[in-house]
Amino acid sequence: MSVLQKPTSAPGPAPAREAPNPRKARPSAMRRKEARFFWLFISPWIIGFVVFLLGPMLASIYLSFTDWDSFTDPNWVGVANYVRLFTEDEIFHKSLWNTFYFAFFSVPLGMAIALFLAALLNKQMKGRKLFRTLVYLPHLVPIVAVALIFQMVLAPDSGPLNRFLAVFGIDGPAWLFESDWVKPAIILLSLWQAGGATVLLLAGMKGIPQEFYEAAEIDGASGIRQFWSITFPQLTPIIFFNLIMGIIGAFQVFAQVYILTQGGPDNASQMVVPLLFNEAFRNYRMGYASAISWVLFLIVMALTVLAFATSRKWVFYETEVKN
Amino acid sequence: MKLLETTVSRRNVLAGLGASALGIITLTACGGFGTASSSGGKDFVMTVWGGDPDKAAYQARLDLAKAKYPDYNITLQLIPNKDYAQKVQTMISGGTGPDIMQVAEDANAYSSKNQLLALDDLIGKSALDLSATFGPVAENWKYKDKTYAIPDRAGAMIMYYNTAEFEKKGIPAPTAEWTWDDLLSAAKELTGDGVYGYGGTEWWPIWMSFAYQNGGQIIDPGSGRPTVNTPEVIEALQFCQDLVFKHKVAPSKVDYANMGAGVGGDAAFASGKVMMNSTGFWNIGSLAKQKTISWDVAPVWRGQEKAIAAFGSGLAVSRSSKNPDDAFKIIEFMTSAEGQKPIMDLGQDVPARQDLQSSQEFLKPAWLDATVDMQVFPDSAPSIFKPPFIPEWNEMQKAMTDALSDFWLGKSDAKASAADLQKRLESIVKA
Repeated sequence: MSVLQKPTSAPGPAPAREAPNPRKARPSAMRRKEARFFWLFISPWIIGFVVFLLGPMLASIYLSFTDWDSFTDPNWVGVANYVRLFTEDEIFHKSLWNTFYFAFFSVPLGMAIALFLAALLNKQMKGRKLFRTLVYLPHLVPIVAVALIFQMVLAPDSGPLNRFLAVFGIDGPAWLFESDWVKPAIILLSLWQAGGATVLLLAGMKGIPQEFYEAAEIDGASGIRQFWSITFPQLTPIIFFNLIMGIIGAFQVFAQVYILTQGGPDNASQMVVPLLFNEAFRNYRMGYASAISWVLFLIVMALTVLAFATSRKWVFYETEVKN
Repeated sequence: MKLLETTVSRRNVLAGLGASALGIITLTACGGFGTASSSGGKDFVMTVWGGDPDKAAYQARLDLAKAKYPDYNITLQLIPNKDYAQKVQTMISGGTGPDIMQVAEDANAYSSKNQLLALDDLIGKSALDLSATFGPVAENWKYKDKTYAIPDRAGAMIMYYNTAEFEKKGIPAPTAEWTWDDLLSAAKELTGDGVYGYGGTEWWPIWMSFAYQNGGQIIDPGSGRPTVNTPEVIEALQFCQDLVFKHKVAPSKVDYANMGAGVGGDAAFASGKVMMNSTGFWNIGSLAKQKTISWDVAPVWRGQEKAIAAFGSGLAVSRSSKNPDDAFKIIEFMTSAEGQKPIMDLGQDVPARQDLQSSQEFLKPAWLDATVDMQVFPDSAPSIFKPPFIPEWNEMQKAMTDALSDFWLGKSDAKASAADLQKRLESIVKA
C-alpha cells in the first residue's frame, strides 16, 4: 500500500509527529481531484501490469508445478520439476554456475570500465564529443551484429585479438571452442557494451557542484584524491543503479550466448535464460521452464535485496544528509 | 485521513482489476470469433517457413489450389526459419493454430503430442499411393505406423565437386559407387596449398549417412532405443574424425572459424577452399551465380550399404483445423504433379514427387544457366534412409552437439564419445 500512497503523500513534507492536522482529517476537494487524476494516469500502467505481467506470472507459478507441453492439458506434478532441477538436471547446475561466473566478473568489471571511461570523458579535451559518441556506439549496435563481429574478433588464428596476443608471444586460445575460455569470451563481449552505464555516470558527474572541487583544490587535494573523495561518493547512487541493473541484466544474459555459442562447447557457456528458452520452445516443457524461471527470479530478487541492504553503508544521497 | 485514502485506492485497484479481467475475457472472446469464417467459403491458414523465394513458390501453388477450389480461402503465413517452431507453438496453444502446416525433422514433436491428424484414413479414401509417388521419403513422416504428413519437398544430399581441380589432378568424377576409401584418396589428392579435399562431416546428415552406410542406426526402429554405441556407428564416426585430424583432408571447426564468421562447407566450397562438399539442393542456385569456381554435382559415395540423407518437408493437417477433410484435399492438390510443379519451375527446391524429379523440366531447368547434372536427385532418391525423426528430435540434436563437441575438436575418440552420447540419449529417449 505504501507504494500506492507515495505520490499523494509526497507533495509537502507532513511530519507525522505534529499535532493532528485539520487538512489530513478530511482531504480537500483539490486533493481528492488529485487522487482521481493519479488513478486515471496510473491506470494504463496498472492494467498493463496486471494483464501482461502479474497474470502471466501467477500462471507460471501454477505451471511450474505441472508437466505441460503447451499443446495438451497441463498435468499437476507437485514439486517434481523443482526436485529434478536441484537434484538431477546437471545441465541446469552447469548453467547456473556459468551464470554466476558470468555475473561475478561481468558486473564489477563492467562498472569499473564504465566509471573509468566516464572519468576520462569528463575531462576537457579536444574531440570529447566524438569520443563520447564512440563509447556509446557499441550500445546501439544490435546484439546480433555484435555477436557476428565477435565471431571474427575471437577467431582462433586469424582473429585480431589472438593476432594481438601473438605480438607478445602469447598463443591465444580458440576462444569459442574451449570450455575454459568461452565464458571469458562472453564476458569480453559484455564489457564492450559498457558505454550505456558510462553515459549515466557522465550525466551524474555533470551534476556534482563545482564548488566542491574548488574547495578541495584550495585545500591542496590531488586529482586522484578529488576523484575518490568527491566524485565517487557523489556518484554512488548512479553506481548503485548500475549495480542493480547490471545484476539483473547479467542473470538474464541471452542473446550473446544464443547467437555466439548456442551454449557450447558441451554447455560450457550455457546460461539460465537460454536454457529456459530451450526447455520451453524447443523441448516443449513449459512447466519445467516455468520452474527454472522462478528459481532465477528468486535468485535475482535475493541478490537485489542484498544489494539494497548493503546500500545504506556505501550509497550516498545528498538529501539524507540534509535531514 | 489515511484510512479513507486506502479504502478509496483499494476500491480503485479492484475496479482496475475488474476492468482488466473484463479486458482479458473480451480479448479471448474476440480470438474465438476471429477464426470463424467470414464470407461464404471456407477459411484455411497454412504456415510455412523460409524467405522470399519460398513465399513466391508456395503462393504460386496456393493460387493454383484456389483456381481448383474457388470457395476455399487459403491464407499463406510465411515465418522466418528460426522462429517457425516457436510461432506455430504459440499459435496452437493460443487456439489459433494453422489448418495446414509444413513440418520437417521435429514433426513428431507435434504428432506425439496429438497436434497432427493421422492421415491414413483420408489417404485410404483417396487415390494416393505414397511409396509409389514419393519413394522412400514417404516413410519419413510415419510415426508408430501412422502417417502424419504428405511428402512435399525432398532432395537427397548430393556431392558438389570442383570440376577444374578434378581435371587438373586427373581424378574421375565422384560416383554413387565410390567407397569411403575412394572418397579419402580423392580428398588426399585434392588437399594442399591451403585447400582441403573435402568439406567435413560434422553436420548430422553427413555423419549419419556414414553411420547408416556402415549398417548402423541412431535409434533402433523396433525398440525405439538409441543405438549409437555400436561398432558400426563408432567405426563411421572414427572415419569422419580421421578425415579431419588424421588425414587432414577436411577443415576442423577451428579452421572454419579462421576462414571468417559463419563460414561453413558451402561458403568454403564456393570460394575454392574446399574441393568436395556434401550438402543439399539449395547450393545450386547460389553457386550458379558465382564465377570463382567451376563445379558440378554428383551422387554421394557409399559404404557397405547405400544410404543417403535427404532434406525436405511434408505437409500436415493440424488437429486444430475446423475442416480437416478439406484441408487434406488442399494438401492432396498441393502434392499433386500440378501442385508441386512451381517448386521446380521457380527453382525453390526438389519436389518430393518421383515423376517430377525425372521430368525434363526438372532435369533441364529453365532458371538455371549452368549445366548441372540434375539426374543425381532421381538417381539418389532410392537410397534415402529413414532418419530418426523421434519426438525428442530437438533434445537429441542438442545432446549430439554437446556430447560430440570435444570429438569434433579432436580431443576425444569415437569410442568414448559414442559411449557418452549413448548415455545422454538414453536419458532423453523414453521409448
